[in-house]
This record gives sequence, C-alpha cells and structure tokens, in this order.
Amino acid sequence: MTALSAPSAPSAPLRAGETGSGAKRSGPVLLGMLRRRELQLVLAILALGALSSALHPSFLASGNVSFILADSVSTMVVAVGQTIVVLGRGIDLSVSPVLGIAAIGVGFPAQDHNLSIFLALLIVLVIGMALGAGNGFLVAVVGIPPIIATLATLTIYGGLQFIFTGGQEVVNIPNAYGNLGNANMLPGVPWLIVVGAAVVAVVWFWLRRTVTGRSIYAVGNNADAAFRAGAPVRRILFLTYVVSGLLAGLGGLIYLCHVGSADATTGSDTNVNLMSIAAALIGGTTLLGGRGGPVGSALGAVFLSEALQAMIASRVPPIWEPAGVGALIVIAVITDRGATPARLLARRPFREPSHGPQ
Amino acid sequence: MSTTPVSSAKPGASQARSKTAGRQETIWTVALAALLVVLLAYFYLAVPDFRSLGTSGVLALCEQFLFTGLIALGEAVVVLAGEIDLSTGAMSSLSGILMASLWQQGLNIWLATVLALFAAALGGALNGFLVTRFNVSSLLVTLGTQFIFGSVATAVGGNTPPYNFPRSFVTLVGTGTVGPVPDQLLVFAVVAVAAWLLVARTRYGRSLVLIGYNRAASRYSGIDVRRSLLWAFVASGLLAGMAGIFVSGYYNAARDDIGDSLLLPAITVVVLGGVDIFGGRGRMSGVILATFLLGFLTQGLLIRGDSSLTATMVTGVVLVLCLVLKVALDHRAWAQLRELLRHRVSGMGELRAGRGA
Repeated sequence: MTALSAPSAPSAPLRAGETGSGAKRSGPVLLGMLRRRELQLVLAILALGALSSALHPSFLASGNVSFILADSVSTMVVAVGQTIVVLGRGIDLSVSPVLGIAAIGVGFPAQDHNLSIFLALLIVLVIGMALGAGNGFLVAVVGIPPIIATLATLTIYGGLQFIFTGGQEVVNIPNAYGNLGNANMLPGVPWLIVVGAAVVAVVWFWLRRTVTGRSIYAVGNNADAAFRAGAPVRRILFLTYVVSGLLAGLGGLIYLCHVGSADATTGSDTNVNLMSIAAALIGGTTLLGGRGGPVGSALGAVFLSEALQAMIASRVPPIWEPAGVGALIVIAVITDRGATPARLLARRPFREPSHGPQ
Repeated sequence: MSTTPVSSAKPGASQARSKTAGRQETIWTVALAALLVVLLAYFYLAVPDFRSLGTSGVLALCEQFLFTGLIALGEAVVVLAGEIDLSTGAMSSLSGILMASLWQQGLNIWLATVLALFAAALGGALNGFLVTRFNVSSLLVTLGTQFIFGSVATAVGGNTPPYNFPRSFVTLVGTGTVGPVPDQLLVFAVVAVAAWLLVARTRYGRSLVLIGYNRAASRYSGIDVRRSLLWAFVASGLLAGMAGIFVSGYYNAARDDIGDSLLLPAITVVVLGGVDIFGGRGRMSGVILATFLLGFLTQGLLIRGDSSLTATMVTGVVLVLCLVLKVALDHRAWAQLRELLRHRVSGMGELRAGRGA
C-alpha cells in the first residue's frame, strides 16, 4: 500500500515509454511541459478563442466568455466522474440517464413544492450514488465487462427516467435554482464556474493525495499488480462507479439550474455520454486506464464548449455539432501517442489472480 | 469450432481451446434455441392476440427486427475479431438516406441502393483504416464516426427525407411476401447463411476469430491482421447499410433518426448470441438465433400490451441476466469442477489449464 500512496509522485503512474520521458529527457523544461496535455489544451483554448474573435469580434465579449465557461460546467462535472471510472480502466455509458433522473428527481419537487436547494443537492447525490452503485455492482461484484454492463443500465435507467416523468416536464424552477445556474458570484464570475472549479479541485486532491485515489491509478494501470500490492481492487472499482454516478447526479442539478427545464430525454438529447467521454479523451485521459486526470478533463469540457460556440459563431448549422464533437474525438485519439497499444478494448473484468491459472 | 485450419501454429493450445470453448458454445446455442421455442410457446398459449396472428402474422413480425439482425451479423464479425463498431446504427441511417436521396435525384432505385451499399462499405473501410492505420481503439474511433455519419445523414436528408418509393422496391426489401414468408426474411436468410459460412467455413473467417482470440499468435502464424480487420469493418459497414435499406423499405421512407435506436439491440443480440465481447469466441448461429429470440420477445411483449419502453427495458434486463449467467458458467470453479468430473470419469489424466484468457 505504501507504494501506492507515495504522495511525492508528481504525476500519475505512467505507462512505460510514455510521457514519463519528461523525467529522463534532459531537454528544456519548457519543451517537456509542452508535452503535457493540460498545457496543450490551454494553448488550444486560447488559440481557438483568438481565431474566433478575429473572425467574429463579438466572440470575445465578456458575456460570451463566461457563458462558454458556465455552459461547460455540467459536462465538466460529469466528465470528471467519467474520468475517475476511465482511470480505473472502465467506462460509464449510463451517465446521461443518471443525469436525467437526477434532474427530474429534484426538478418536480422544486417546481411543485419549492424544494430547498440544499435538500435538492442531497437528493441528487443520493440518486447518483444509488444508480452508480448499480453499475458498480454489475462490474465489480458480478464481473460483467463495463461497456456491456453500463450499456444495459443505460437502457434500464433510461426507461426509469421515462417512467418517473410520466409524460410531464419540468419547465418552471424556483429563483434560487435559476440564480445558482445563471447569476454571477462576482461580476464576470458565474456561480457555476466556482462550483465546477471546486469539484475539480476536490477530485484532484482525492485522486492525487489520498491512498484510495492513488489506488485507482494503480488498479487502472495493472489490476493484478495492484491486487498483489494489497489494493482492494473490487472495492475500488465499485467506488469509481459510485463516484461517477454521484457526479453525474450533481451534473443533473447543475443542468437543471442552468437550463431551467428537464424532461424524459434530458441527458440523452444533449449527448452527455459522448460529451463526457470526449472531454475526458481530449483532456488526455486514455481508455487504457491509469493515465490522465480531472484537470485535463475539465479543460477538455471547456474546449468542447468553446469549439461548439465557435461553430455557432461561424454559422455552421447545428446539425453538424455532433459531427464536430465526433471529429474532435477521432483527432484526440489519433494524436495521443499514449493511446496506441492495439487492444484498448481488452478490458476484461478483474478477477483475483489466486482463483485461476496464470 | 470444428474446423480450425489456422490453428496449425499452436496446435496444442488451440485444440484445448476449441474443445472446451466449443462445448460451451454448443451449450449456449442449444439453450438459445430451446429458449426461443419456450418463448414462442408461451406467447402462443398465454397471449390470445399473439395466437390470433396465425403463422403468416407471426412471420410478418420478423419485419420489425430483421434489420437489427443484419446489423448484429456485421457487428458480430467485428466483435469476434476483438474490436467493436459503434457506428453501425448511424451507418444504417446514412445508407437509407443516401439511397433515398440518390433516387430522388432521378437515379434508378436499385442503382441507388447499390451505390448506398457501396458508400456504407466505404464508411466501414474508413473505420477500419483509422483503427488499423493509427493503431487506436475501435471503441473510440467508431464512437467518433458514429456522430459524423449521423450528422451527414441528417444534413443530406434535410427536413423531410424522401419517402414513397417505387412499389417493386417496397415489396422486395419492405413488406412483400412469398406465400406466408416475408421477402425480408428470405433476404436475411441468405445473408445470415453467407455470414455463417464466412465465419465458420472459410480461412478468412477462422483467421478473424483467431485474431480476436490471440492477436500475437495470429500475427506469428502469418495472418495479415491489419488487412483482416479492415475487411471486418467493411463487412460491418456493408451489413449496417443493408439494414438501412431494409428500414427504408419497411417504413417506405428514409429515416435519419433510427440509427441510435438500433445500435443497442444489435449489440445485445451479439452478446446474447454468445459472442465474447472481447473476441475470439462465439458463433454466428448463436447470433442468428438471438436475433429471433430478442425480436420475438420484444414483439410479443408489445402485442401483450406492454409499452415499447417496457420492451426496451426488458432488452437491458435480458442483457444483464444473460451476462450474469455467462459469468456464472464461465467461472473457474465450474470449469475446475467439470475438469475434475471428466478426470474421474474418463481417467484421462491430461491436465488442462482451464480456459484462462
């Protein structure tokens, strides 16, 4: 366990021959830093902003900048949860109905009974954790491959979302919600950005500075080795899905506050699954597990939001939005040299090595 | 698993695999067939509306799910090789829209169909090219191209995608019948047999399965892994395109919105059919049976009066249940128990290393 918890490690445990070269290479520090996906993304965000505002001067208006940031927070929070699962070498395709169920789960009481927002926060977290625990059970306890398990819960949760709405939709939320979703804390600094930054900071600390967090990287890197080093692999895998569900639930509350409505297709109609995975991938987290982090994913979410705004500013018809995101995914995957080992799909469910022949 | 011409490189390992894995696949396939019979019997006895359909009515139900089966056949080819294709649903939409738009431009509808199928194969080739050339995960590449194909379909189709195709077209790939048997079923039968033969009886098919089972071993035994995978994606794209033509024929209108709703059932069919999602294990016969099993289950529930929503949820539940069952069957404890029994019974002291992956 001590090996896992070494907090002095400056970055994630790296795959052999990957970005770890920064330590060995004697080249300039600045060049090494440029290899970091987070920095590349900041530069990309600035470049895209500069390009767009050169073509469309209104793009850089302060309202638009904070809109881009605030608009990305719902995706950002879900993407951070997705990142945690992916770091453990899983995938969660059920985040969109979890987000939707959380949004309607508090949306109706808020609309009809003026539910207090603190209670709402508690409810979405419980909903998210419960649904996430369902995924965790299937993956970590039963041992079903994550992609199939969460594909199945995607339909099951999606069905539940339809049943819960009963054909109704949330259209009118109390002011407290709307203020949180759209008002500024300080001039030019929306509340949502503060919330998003806080979530990223907490998760970053958890992943980098606690034994459990480090263990997620270790499990994602090599579950067998982590098991032999004493990490409770199944419990950690279970936990990643619970946290992913929790953050997807929180994303639902943020979505509700920001957009002000929710219905049976909330989450699915905005492709939350795709967006969260895209943000994580663009942010440098690989589906191989064990590499990446919440900061990159948050930047990825901002970049996506900015890219979509740029498409709108350039009068690209909205039907091309999914294609834009799809193209970004393909580009992010192809340009990420860390993601090249051939069989990324080979994410067999973990089994304690002692049970079988090796 | 009876013929494994490509296994010559590692005869011992491959034969151990083909015996245990083959037996399990046989059990799974037989169980599927039995379940299908039980299911049909249940609906026939317990649901009056289902009984009153008669033979031709029940056969006509197939038109509601055969396009899913076509996608599943293509998907199975890719999954057997250890990859996955998430873009098949969107590809169905795209090929239907392309066919209809070309026809609307004044092209002969059959020519338009051939061109649309060609485009679908090209789309599959694009997937395969990205996966093999850049050596990246098919999960990610097809997740991306899924949305690209979908956007193109929506853009080409416009607000009102073409509809009202010529009668001959709607009859053959849509709602026509030969006696009580829908034309679609006949076309599907031909394609299904071809896909089965391809996987089970050709050198290429067996090499695909070996690629899925052990990529390094297949490379050492002289298989061109990249080219084989590329063609698997082409097959997947082509069959998805064919499904799009079926959909257009059945609804007598091109649909750009149906792709998303086809992907999950298709993957469910593949997994239910006993194909290991990690490749290297499974049979096309299982996939074909699973097409009918899941299709009749869904349609039977709908006829019984359940909402389409319930039917979709049942799809998800079935997927989970069959995986739980599979994991239970897969469990090493069972394998060891069976080994022990066989050891006792036959007296053959050959030690087998289970079916460790």
